[in-house]
Order: sequence, then structure tokens, then C-alpha cells
Amino acid sequence: MKTGRLLRWLLALYTALVFLFVFAPIVASLVFSFNSDRFPTIPLGSFTTAWYAKAFSNPEAWDAALRSLLVSSVTAVLATAIGFSAAYTDYRYDFFGKTAFLVLALLPPTIPLIILALAMLGWLSMFNASGMTISIIIAHTVLCAPFAMAVIRLRLNQMDPNLEPAAWNLGASEWVTMKSVVIPFTLPSIIASLCLTAAVSFDEFAVAWFVSGLNKTVPVVILEIVTGNIDPQVNAIGTAVFFVSITLVVIAQVLVLRPARKPDAA
Amino acid sequence: MAESRPAKPDYYAIAWRMPLIVWQGLFFVGPLLFMLAMSFFLVKNYRMEAAFQFSNWSRMLSKGFFWDAYAYTLWLAVLATFITSIAAFPASYFLAFKASERLRRWAIFFLVIPFFTSYLVRVFAWQVILAQQGVVNAAISYLGLGPWQMLNTQFGTMVGYLVLCLPLAVILQTFSLANIDKRLVEAAHNLGCGRLRAVFTVVAPLAKTGLVVAAVFCFILSFGDFVSPYYLGGSKPPTLSIMIVDTSKSGQQWPRAAVVAIMMIATLLAVAFTAIGFAYRKRGK
Amino acid sequence: MAEPLVVFDNVVKRFGAFEAVKRMNFEIREGEFLAFMGPSGCGKTTTLRMLAGLEQPTEGDIRLAGKSLVNVKPHERGTPMVWQSLALFPFLNARENVEFGLKMRGLDKPTRARKALDWLERLGIGEFAERDVNSLSGGQRQRVALARALVTEPKILLLDEPLSALDAHLVIRMQGVLTKLQRELGITFVYVTHSQSEAFAMADRVVIMSRGEIAQIGPARDIYRTPASRFVAEFVGRNNIFAGTVNAAGNVDTAAGAFTLGGKAKPGENVSFVVAADVVSISTAKPAAQNVFAAQLISEEFVGSMVTLFFEAPGGAEVKVQVQERLLEGIPREPGQQLFLSFDPSHAHILKG
Repeated sequence: MKTGRLLRWLLALYTALVFLFVFAPIVASLVFSFNSDRFPTIPLGSFTTAWYAKAFSNPEAWDAALRSLLVSSVTAVLATAIGFSAAYTDYRYDFFGKTAFLVLALLPPTIPLIILALAMLGWLSMFNASGMTISIIIAHTVLCAPFAMAVIRLRLNQMDPNLEPAAWNLGASEWVTMKSVVIPFTLPSIIASLCLTAAVSFDEFAVAWFVSGLNKTVPVVILEIVTGNIDPQVNAIGTAVFFVSITLVVIAQVLVLRPARKPDAA
Repeated sequence: MAESRPAKPDYYAIAWRMPLIVWQGLFFVGPLLFMLAMSFFLVKNYRMEAAFQFSNWSRMLSKGFFWDAYAYTLWLAVLATFITSIAAFPASYFLAFKASERLRRWAIFFLVIPFFTSYLVRVFAWQVILAQQGVVNAAISYLGLGPWQMLNTQFGTMVGYLVLCLPLAVILQTFSLANIDKRLVEAAHNLGCGRLRAVFTVVAPLAKTGLVVAAVFCFILSFGDFVSPYYLGGSKPPTLSIMIVDTSKSGQQWPRAAVVAIMMIATLLAVAFTAIGFAYRKRGK
Repeated sequence: MAEPLVVFDNVVKRFGAFEAVKRMNFEIREGEFLAFMGPSGCGKTTTLRMLAGLEQPTEGDIRLAGKSLVNVKPHERGTPMVWQSLALFPFLNARENVEFGLKMRGLDKPTRARKALDWLERLGIGEFAERDVNSLSGGQRQRVALARALVTEPKILLLDEPLSALDAHLVIRMQGVLTKLQRELGITFVYVTHSQSEAFAMADRVVIMSRGEIAQIGPARDIYRTPASRFVAEFVGRNNIFAGTVNAAGNVDTAAGAFTLGGKAKPGENVSFVVAADVVSISTAKPAAQNVFAAQLISEEFVGSMVTLFFEAPGGAEVKVQVQERLLEGIPREPGQQLFLSFDPSHAHILKG
């Protein structure tokens, strides 16, 4: 089996290269952000924190950071609430038009963002509602709700279908059962969903760019800097943005992947 | 679950159904339908007026530059789909069949991360790496080669599409390969089917649905992306998504951009349905 | 006289075109242990779920203590249930699980904790009160589920196959726990099971269900000795069924021989009758008794001190005989051995339909 082992190693090497390709830009961005050259190349220039100093003294960046924080946290709450209600409906009920309901719930990620951006811009403009911070929140909630639904639906899959009836049976009404059984059970996935949707909203630029007007978020600022020139300030902002998103995604994943405390039928 | 005799409406059930219907109805279906209507509107003195005219459609669809952009976008997306699928497959194959359960879980864990981090910043990093004086050209100059023109070429665009699609393609392919009954592959080996032949005659057909779904996602993502063709491909010639940006951002010509967008949705639907039909087709002609 | 605790009045349950329960009429008496038994899909669980309010009857009325339950929501019924899956709340510890029903009734925290601990003690798992329910063993989890249902001091307790997930030795132990509890508390237990031994060992009365209908209702002994139909006789399983035509002398001609039923059958009729496995006598020599036939021993099966012998009677029919093992001393038991079987006419029970 000599060829077998060789093949295995070649495949492993190839897989490592794929990961290198995937993570190269993240690492490069981090390295360049501390590099003195305006046009980074090898050999690298000297170590500097000048780009961070520039980025952190940029009032537009601060303004955008605060707005991004606001947009992503409100979006996370709204999208998670909508996603939760959709996931719970799918878990518990069967009704006329359920397929249409599920299509509505899961379709948005398959529409290119640029198209959604245009459609959203036209629609919100008709109500004079574009160009505001809330316009971004509205649009981002549409994009994020499907992710929230998927994450929470996975958790509900692990819930004993008798758990709710057991609570009713002990005197809890449907609403009380929701509060004291369904929400505690799905809590890890709810937090995971808050993190994931916040990360998606925090990084989204196409729709935000179209509907935000003068109320720019961080990715929109990045987009504008990048369009202008090569400016390593972007690496500094980008690294900060990566740090935020990666933290959120890792928290979410740890919560989702944590082994379900499922009663093992003895 | 509990079905009841004709009784009063179940307000609890309705309460949980409504948020999604209302929100996605108002802010997803509404905008898309409005965009369809918008494609018939007129623009006068930089202001959009409600109308029902086919002038945007006839103007866009009669122009050679629209069809050139359409063909180019389609070509790029198809190329990206094939390159990504082929580039992802050996890695997915390794993760699904050769790696331990633990390694596979960690790999998926890491592959999910880029999906939720800034694509824009990653593309910008590649812009720097691939630049005329960038890391890659500096590296090959030590070998006495280059400099190569990588930015503002199709190659640059493809790198961007790979950045966008590769993690998702590996994840979806790995899941579909890992679900294959391994005994079937062993049986094939047993029957004297060579390793490489087994991959094409046994593994690929069994995982067909998952592989096609992964490819469809690659197509959707690259067909609609405007960042890679713009910042890595140099936007010349423009793709349909760049055309949407240009027409709507600079010219205020939203109705014409809507025409482009609707053509794109129609194309995506056609491709998705054809591919899904192919993926679920019964075997044996 | 007051109405019994529970009355099912012409109850029908349909799921679409499928009739899960067909027009049921029966009563549950206060303080009795009633078991529903039948093959899967017979409607026994649906019946229990209707009582708990988890399904609504399509037609008819269910009354609890004289009051109609039809428009009463599940959480207003006071019919706690022990679930097959136990359905313990995985995010609460054992004590908090038991407290759940009390919390819903608005009891204050100290009272809740005291009552919950009392019940956990009573069921012998007081020391696990603060443990995560996922870390408990199957038997311990079972007791938490019981305590959770009983702590609200209900008039009636519903049990849906509560022992089906346990190991055999634990099942016997829990049966003891359940019967003892039921006697002490004096409350009504309604128990759904597919296990004959559980139903017969614990229940005062057993309801045998088949395809959405009650096939027989009565004490275990009656169901065993005098099954109401061929279905019940076969379902109970420890019965020998003979079929034949009654001849002019009043005896029944069957494949295994002609048997007298002591005048219970009229000449010319086609009848089926059952003889319970534990009333058939075995002997090596032909005894001077009625209804004797020779049969060949095929195999034997032990359950505790009881042994069930399987014979092949003339005509190929299988005959089961159940006896205490010590009563078989001196009887050769090699497979293939020819022995004489007999039963008293008074032990033959004629089946209707």
C-alpha cells in the first residue's frame, strides 16, 4: 500500500494548501497592517502602528464603527426574533402553504446582494425611507433572518416533541411554556444566532452601500477607501473588522457544536 | 400535531407565523416586485416617474454592450464554477475519506469562519498580494521570472471568485461525500476498480446531488458578485453586476439597472432549476 | 350514585380519513389502576392523549369528575402524565423538574422546594435532587418523572408506556414501586402499555384495544380465563384455541380429538373455545379423565419457576402448557416425547365470533 500512503500525503498537502489560500488574505491583512510600506511586498518594511494611528484618528471611521455596531446589534435582535418564530413554526406546525412559507424563509441568501440592494433602494425610496440608518437595519434583517432560522431550527430538531406537551400537562399555558421551556432549551442557538447575524450584518457592504446614503457603515467606508487608492489604513480597519467577526463566529460555532444535552434513551 | 375540531382560530400559532410573513413580505417580496415594476418606469430630469413603458427593456436588450456583458458574466461564472468545484474536490475527498472525524470537524469549523468575515477586506488583501510590485511578483523575481500582470485580468477575477466560493464548496462537497456509504467504495476496490476509476465511477455519481448543489452555489455567488471583477479584474469589460452599480450609482438610471437585475434573476433561476433537475434525475437513461 | 371519575361518552377520534378511535364508551373508577393494552396503532395512546387534552375528540364527550373536558386546555386539566420519553426538562436539575408544576400553580419558592424534596426522598432519590437530570441513570430519571407528576397531588395519573425504556430487572422493580404508590395514595392510575406482563401484574382492570375499539374490559383474570373474542385470546397468548363442529352427542370434533364442553355447546354449531395454558394437565400414562389427548413435546421455555411446554397435537396444532417446574418431577421431558394432556370441561371457554 505504498501508493496509498503517498496519495494520502499528497491529498493532505493539497488540503493544507487550500486552507493556506483561504486564510492567506486574513493573515496578509494582519501583517500588512503593521508594515511600514505603503505598497507592501517582500521583503517587508519595518514594524509600525502608524496605520492604526491613522485609522483610529479618522473621525469618519469612528462614526462608521459606531453606526455598524448599532446596525449589527439591532439587526441581530430583529433577525433572531424573526428567525426564531419561523423555526418554531416549522418545527411545530403543518399548515396549508407551508412550502411557500419555507421558500419565503430561506430564499433571500440565493438572490445576489447587488440585486437585493437595488430592489431595496427603489422600494425604500418610494417611501422616502432610504439613506437612513434604519434602512440598513431593515435590509440587513431580511438577509440575516434565514441564517437565524437555520441555526435555531437545528437546535429545535434535538428537542423531544413531548417536551412542550409535558409542560402544558403540568399546568403551563402555551405562552408560559414558550418562556419557560422552549426558550431555555434553544438558548444556546439563540445566542449563536445573535452572534452570526451580527457578524453578517457587520461585514455586509453591497446593500449597506446602496441604501445608507451618507450614513456609512464600516464596510462602506472600506469600500470607498479601496475605490480611491491603495491605502494600508484599510488593513488596519480590516484587521479590526476581522477580529470582531471572527470572535462572533467562533462564539456562535462553539455554541452550535456543543454536544446537545439530549436525554439518551436508556 | 394536535388538530382540533372546527374551533376558534389558534392565535398562538398565528402569532408565530406572522413575523416572517410580514417582514419578508414587506422587505423582500415587496422590493423584488417593485423592482419588476420599476423596470417599466421612466426617468425624466434625473427623477424616476411611475409609468408602464417598455423603453428600458428595448433600450437595454437591443444594445450590443449589454449582451457582451451578459456573455462575459456567464462565461466567468461558469468558469469559476468549474474551477472551484475541481479545486475543492481533492480537499473534500481528503476530509471526507482520509481524515479523522475530529480533523474533519475542525476543518469545517475553520471553513465556516471566512464565510462570515469581510469578503471586501480579503479581496483587498489579494489586491495587494497580486499587485505589480506585490508579494507574488517579488517572490518570483528571485527566480528570475516576472513580473506577471495578475491584477486587472481574468486571472485576478478568478482568484476573487475562489476566495468567495472555495470554503463553501469544500464544506458542501465534504458533507455530500461523507454521507456516502463507504462500503460501496470498498466494494468497488474489491471488484478490482482502480482508485482513480472508483472516484469517477462510484464516488462522484453517489455524491452527485451534493456536488451539483455546491456548484450551483458557486455559480450564484460568482454570477452576482461585483467586488472581484471590479477590484481584481479591473472592471473591463464590465460584468452585469458592475453594470448595475454603474447605471444606478452614477446615472440614476434605476429602471435600466432593474432590467439588468431581472435578466440576472431569470438566468439564475434557469440555471438553478436545470442543475437541480440534473442532480435529482433518476439514473439509467 | 355519583358519576365515576372519568367517563368516555361516544368518543370518536379521526385523523383525516383514519379512524384512530371508534366510538368508545367506558368509565374509569375513582382509585382504580386501569391499564390499556393492545398492539401498536390500536388507539391506546390516542385515548390517553385525549384524556390529557393533547388531542381533541372528533365527536363525543369526555368528563372528569362530572365536568366536560372538551373545551378545557391541557394545562387546565390537572391530569399529569409520565411520558414514554420521560420528557424531563434537560436545562433543569432534578429538584427544579419536580418543582415545575408547583411553580405553574403559583406556589412560593420554599414550599416548592420542600414538597419537591419530600417527593424525591419518598421515591428514594433525595440525594440526587441537585443533579443534572442528564447525569442520572434510567431508573433515577424514571423516578424524577414520577415525582414531577405526583407532586401536584392529582386525582388521576396518566402513564404512557413509562417502563418501556428500562432494563428488564428495573421494570420489575418499578412495577413494585408503582403498585405500592398507587395503593398508598389511593389515586387513579391510567396506564398505557403494550406489555401484557406489566398490565396483568399491576392493573385492577385491563382494557384490551384493537383497531380503535375496546375488545374487552375487565380484571386480568377474566381476560385470561374468559376472553371475549378470538382476538383477545390470541393477543393474551397463553391460551390454546380449538375449533370444531358440535356432533350429535354434544361433543366438539376438533383436529386434536373430540372434546366435551359439559353441555355448553349445541349440536350442529361451529364453535371455537379456549383452554388456558395453566389448566392443562400432563401425565405419562393415559389418565382416567375427560378430554384426554396425546401430544408430542416440541420445546420448553423457562420464566422464573414457571415452565411453558410446547406440544404438537394431532392435526398439527400447537398446544401450550404452563406449570410450576417442581410439579413436573418424574415426567420425561425429551423433545419428541409422547405425553397425555387433559383438561376439565369447566375450564373450556367458548369464544363468541
